[in-house]
Amino acid sequence: MIYKHLNIKPIAIIFMMWFAGILSAQVSADEGKELYKANCAACHSKDMRSAATGPALGGAQAKWADDAALYDWVRNSQAMIAKGHPRAVEVWNQYKPTVMTAFPALTDDQIGSLFAYINGVYDGTYGPKKDPAAAGAAPVKEEEKSQLPMYLIIASILAVLALLLTKIISNLNQIASAKEGEHVEAKTIAQILTSKGVVTFLIFAAIILGAYTTVNKATELGRQEGYAPDQPIKFSHATHAGVNKIDCQYCHDSARRSKHSSIPGTNTCMNCHAAIKNGSTYGTAEITKIYASIGYDPASNKYIENYESKSEEDIKAIYTKWIGDEYKRVKELADLDAAGESEVAKQWADIKKSLTNDQKKQIQGPIEWVRIHNLPDHVYFNHSQHVTVGKLECQTCHGKVEEMEVLKQMSPLSMGWCINCHRQTEVKFKDNAYYANYTRYHEEMAAGKRDKVTVADIGGLECQKCHY
Amino acid sequence: MEKQIDNIWIGQKDLTRDDEFMKIADQEFAEEQVSYADMTSNLSGNRRDFLKFLGFGLGAATVAAGCDIPVKRAIPYVVKPDQIVPGVANYYASTFVNGGDYCPILVKTREGRPIKIEGNDLSPLTGGGTSARAQASVLSLYDTNRFTGPKLKDGAGWKDSSWEEIDKIVSVTLESSKNVRIVTNTVLSPTAKKAMNEFTAKYVGAKIVTYDPVSSSALLDANEKNFGARVVPSYKFDLADVIVSFNADFLGTWISPVEYAAAYAKGRKISDISKAKMSRHIQVESHMSLTGSNADNRILVKPTEQGVAIAQLYNDITGGSASTTGLNAKAKKAISKVAAELKAAQGKSLVVSASNNVTEQLMVNAINHTLGNYGNTIDMSAPSFQRQGSDTDMKMLVDEIKSGAVDVIIFNEANPVFDSAYGNILKDALAKVKNKVSFAKVNDETTDLCNVVAPTHHFLESWGDVEAKKGHYSLVQPTIAPLFKTRQAEMSLLIWSASTALDQTKEQPYYEYLKDSWKSTVFASQNEFSSFQAFWDSAVHDGIFNTNSGNAPSYTQTEIGSDITKPGTSELEISYFETVQMANGQYAGNPWLMEMADPVTRTVWGNYLAVPVNFDGVRTMVGFNDLVDGELVELTIGDKKMTLPVVQQFGQMPGTVSLALGYGRTNAGNTGNNVGVNVNDCLTLGANGPAYYNTNVSVSSKVGKEKDFSCVQYHHTIGVKGIDKESGKEINADEAALVFFDYFTGVKGFQGALTDRSVIYTSNVAELKDSVEHLQERRKHAQHLNDQQIYGGFDDMYALGHHWGMHVDLNACIGCGTCTVACMSENNVPVVGKHEVAIHHEMTWLRIDRYYYGDVENPNTIYQPMMCQHCDNAPCENVCPVNASNHSSEGLNQMAYNRCIGTRYCANNCPYKVRRFNWLDYTKADLWPANQPRLQEESVPFMADNLTRMVLNPDVTVRSRGVIEKCSFCVQRIQEGKLTAKTEGRLLSDRDVRTACQTACPTGAITFGDMNNKKGELTAKLESPLNYIALEEINVRSSVTYTMKINNRDKSFDA
Repeated sequence: MIYKHLNIKPIAIIFMMWFAGILSAQVSADEGKELYKANCAACHSKDMRSAATGPALGGAQAKWADDAALYDWVRNSQAMIAKGHPRAVEVWNQYKPTVMTAFPALTDDQIGSLFAYINGVYDGTYGPKKDPAAAGAAPVKEEEKSQLPMYLIIASILAVLALLLTKIISNLNQIASAKEGEHVEAKTIAQILTSKGVVTFLIFAAIILGAYTTVNKATELGRQEGYAPDQPIKFSHATHAGVNKIDCQYCHDSARRSKHSSIPGTNTCMNCHAAIKNGSTYGTAEITKIYASIGYDPASNKYIENYESKSEEDIKAIYTKWIGDEYKRVKELADLDAAGESEVAKQWADIKKSLTNDQKKQIQGPIEWVRIHNLPDHVYFNHSQHVTVGKLECQTCHGKVEEMEVLKQMSPLSMGWCINCHRQTEVKFKDNAYYANYTRYHEEMAAGKRDKVTVADIGGLECQKCHY
Repeated sequence: MEKQIDNIWIGQKDLTRDDEFMKIADQEFAEEQVSYADMTSNLSGNRRDFLKFLGFGLGAATVAAGCDIPVKRAIPYVVKPDQIVPGVANYYASTFVNGGDYCPILVKTREGRPIKIEGNDLSPLTGGGTSARAQASVLSLYDTNRFTGPKLKDGAGWKDSSWEEIDKIVSVTLESSKNVRIVTNTVLSPTAKKAMNEFTAKYVGAKIVTYDPVSSSALLDANEKNFGARVVPSYKFDLADVIVSFNADFLGTWISPVEYAAAYAKGRKISDISKAKMSRHIQVESHMSLTGSNADNRILVKPTEQGVAIAQLYNDITGGSASTTGLNAKAKKAISKVAAELKAAQGKSLVVSASNNVTEQLMVNAINHTLGNYGNTIDMSAPSFQRQGSDTDMKMLVDEIKSGAVDVIIFNEANPVFDSAYGNILKDALAKVKNKVSFAKVNDETTDLCNVVAPTHHFLESWGDVEAKKGHYSLVQPTIAPLFKTRQAEMSLLIWSASTALDQTKEQPYYEYLKDSWKSTVFASQNEFSSFQAFWDSAVHDGIFNTNSGNAPSYTQTEIGSDITKPGTSELEISYFETVQMANGQYAGNPWLMEMADPVTRTVWGNYLAVPVNFDGVRTMVGFNDLVDGELVELTIGDKKMTLPVVQQFGQMPGTVSLALGYGRTNAGNTGNNVGVNVNDCLTLGANGPAYYNTNVSVSSKVGKEKDFSCVQYHHTIGVKGIDKESGKEINADEAALVFFDYFTGVKGFQGALTDRSVIYTSNVAELKDSVEHLQERRKHAQHLNDQQIYGGFDDMYALGHHWGMHVDLNACIGCGTCTVACMSENNVPVVGKHEVAIHHEMTWLRIDRYYYGDVENPNTIYQPMMCQHCDNAPCENVCPVNASNHSSEGLNQMAYNRCIGTRYCANNCPYKVRRFNWLDYTKADLWPANQPRLQEESVPFMADNLTRMVLNPDVTVRSRGVIEKCSFCVQRIQEGKLTAKTEGRLLSDRDVRTACQTACPTGAITFGDMNNKKGELTAKLESPLNYIALEEINVRSSVTYTMKINNRDKSFDA
């Protein structure tokens, strides 16, 4: 019998192509993710579903008739609007006057990757593959219940027992001596409690406890876990990082390349706030402070010439007018009413208070934020080491900043806290060629004798890693 | 005692076993505590203040404890410049230039503040080396004595003015004046010269007078006669096999020391011992100069014998017949030997002289010409412009001033009232000049006599250019906005000459002027770039630009006269010399340089009369006039009398004494005022100009004792030997402490290896093979001893990751001290002042130990940079009660300041004596004025003001009082380099981590690296058989390796 040979080749090729397709889709989506973070994330939300400064991008591709027009739109939206492309005009009408930044340098392939990523996120097919091992390795923080009440209960039971036993012994002594014809008074509870032994014990315990508390409290001096001061601008991380999903490093851009994560310059705020002039919570009250710092006239969308040399009166005139106009626009009033006037005066007073202090007399110039995370001068800490090399999430140390209305210091920033993390955290050992000279560790890992290399293993607990 | 000693000695006290010194050396840890007397005499606090502070402190602490933590502000930029990332240093290529001093540099800036100077290794001249002066220049930017803006004389003081007012006053004065003079030191900037020429073109009769604080006028004049150009030739010390220098300190101060040192060291390094070859260097001088101390042979001649010494060599080489009467017999014999050596090395030899006598310089040129050195070791095609001063012009100017012929005089940062030979004359004569303008940055001696100050920028705030050698251009670019209301001198000149080329409407007019000037000159002369913008960007980025220099002019024979210096007949002669740190006083206002130990005498804060020590032929060394270090004498030169301390100097010729120039300034700001004595008015003024000696001199015997004699030579000594008083045997001084200690009585030979310590190994190049064998034996023996122990496994312990190590090539090290200043700058090492140094409290992390060996009357010198050796079996770590000093897995000996409680056990136990204790609050980091010592009589202690503190390196902790500190191997650089490699995901390379001393070194003597990196530069150096470890036998396993010091001495010279 002759069987038709099953020709496996075409099937294999098809299979391989399909597989490669998945793979390349994944790869291009990865590229797209990087591009997205670099170019789009500032204005478009990362979940692809909610609108931010710009519209949600999920499903956007479907709304455009052809990709070529969409790609041109990404590269230069204003040109498309000028050409009168129907979809372009539609989006513009919805979002004007916010102008989308042009990206003339993006290639078709890159925009393709971008949309591969966008669509992937939108329909849920893109995302980190759940690695059970990795999930297990993530530091699990168990709620440690305080054992103190239990100890207290045990201690008091033992104390009562001791008291009872002493009383019993005393009574037995009395009986025993009575038998022998002697008369001994049984000790009363009060006598027992004031006996030498008990008093000595109590003094000893007081000294130990006192010293323990003093040392503990003393080490906490200067630490400010939970510190959440009022800032000159009621900046909400919840709005920016949470609702609008702006990447942390969009504003704190030096975290990946410097020791400082530094607070962004006012010009960084202006990237978005040149267009977003009314805050979701405070309206003009807070955002106008940015304008007053850098000298931007939101009414005319222009930076004010010679702003540095303007007098306070001039500045006041510009911004009170703007606040008043906005008030009228929102309330749909022709003239400013009394409530409006007091609102304008209140906002202006707040702007002045926030932007000036004893050392800084004029409104123009930098916004002086209150520094929350303070390390002592003899501690060297480098953000880029942790963010770029260690690939830590900002939230590891700073907590869920994206949920904080007012920023708060989440970690104690104590040496014990640092050391502890260095003991537990695994070094990104295999992916970084720098660590290739740790040959013994590599050999041990290859031989299965070692499952991970922690920061402590490569000297992360030594004094001069942080103190020099 | 023998006359010829193979072992090393550190000074007279060591050589003669001075009882007092041996006692101090016995104690291992010879620092003195701050006594109550010190507290009351030098500090502004006493017991009552202390109690007050204590009470206040307790109260304040109690109140403060109840309050909130102070609010700290974080102030971001309004518009953040793209190139600045807070926390990341930016480097800008620029050029250190001060008169004729020149060094291409990179300026490290942090958040817009210059904080450190590095060498620019693109420069073919310096190859990335720097000088101590360049390293320290960043501190002078933050000098609190700088003028804050233009000023007008108001009685004895100054009143503030504005640039408009100054411009009006000066322009009106200039319009109505005839004879205008600009007095300047060497100007290396072609564009500044262009500006000056515009000025002289505008004001007919205006003249530029150039002089150098230490004159090289004769050298220039001689070259003008022989080559038609008033220039300094390009000396190529690397190509010379035989180098003869007549008093020219070319490694320290003469013309272009960084360039010369780099080239010189190439001929001194030994890489392959089987084919060991080394240049021979003969120095003819009377005092021990830095260059002389590095020489193989020194020929001692009196200062006035220099002329006949040159004439002798001239006769021997060229067959001339110049008179040599008066030359001492020993020198005569030696010079004929030198002549023979030179003749054998035709075209590969080099003769230089610092003489300021034209005839002598003409003879030197003739010698070089006859030897065929022009075109080989001397390049006339790219001559140097680093000295341009003319003694004749200067003399003429002084005469004109005296006669009242000068109407307006403008001092372009020149200070002739102090640093010229005519200081005293000018001081009075300048009253005859009605209008005197100064561009000075600080109120120096000359400026103080002027009516108008138009202060110029510091070079770190300026735009400028430099043509140090023909065709070798460098750019100066600002690295910080001007701190004060100053204006560049060139700008002032151009404005006053109403230049049309200067567009004052531009934001930076002089920058545009400079650019235009380069467009028409340098850009036009090159063909590498076609667009000017590309050319300019490249030049600013690199900091240097080289073009073809053209052809060398040919040598023209000229008649050599007979007016060489006549040998003096007086019993005593004095010579004056320039020091690395002070020049002729230009750097007196700089505390880093003030406290930098002089390489040879190792004195700080002042100039000390160097007197010879004579061997009595039997047992001991006798100081001149029975003087010993630190005794005060009365020095009489001509009719000037001064009292100053002496320092005994080996190698100082009997019958001569010497004294450094540049000290004794009266208007140098807080730091420089009244430190040492000024001898600029004691020079011998000949018809041609000043000569740097005097024969009319006498030195009294001891008249007193210097209160704070600060010479660090006897501080922190290691490996000193002494005579055991009981056995009479020679043992280690510090072992003597053990032996005399009751417990050890009778335990002779305790740790036998101690008595014979390895600190220095030396060899003559001819005996190299035997010496290396000896060294290997010694090392083997030491290693054998070290293996006899119960602990082990040092080799395995650091096999993982990095193991940092350092290699110091003692043959390349010339002792110039650049590394010590670089270390202070990088690591925020404090300056402590003269008194504190005198009581052994200097804070230097890196010192350069000086040792002598050989002939006691004319010894050879070794310089050994000594820093923490980062011992892997460190004795300091074991004794720390709080574990503040401990070891890292990378082999670093770590010092945790915040853990240190100041017991100083570690310093006591350090065999190398490199640990330093903050006895007082030297960095002014805390609040109590009582703890803050003053350097001089300054109103605010140095470093206590915000301006000076801008120089601090923000990556290095500022240490407070009461903690030990020491060299960290620049751990901040190690960490930074590692992070760079990690971020880029690659292995660490040698370039990533280089210590401050390494990058500063002009000769490349220091190599730092990872000993585990088998392909690294360090590993290659560690293979040399010349290597040894200091004190290897005591088993501390140090991480610093030195090389044996090789000399090329011809012992027959000493016979």
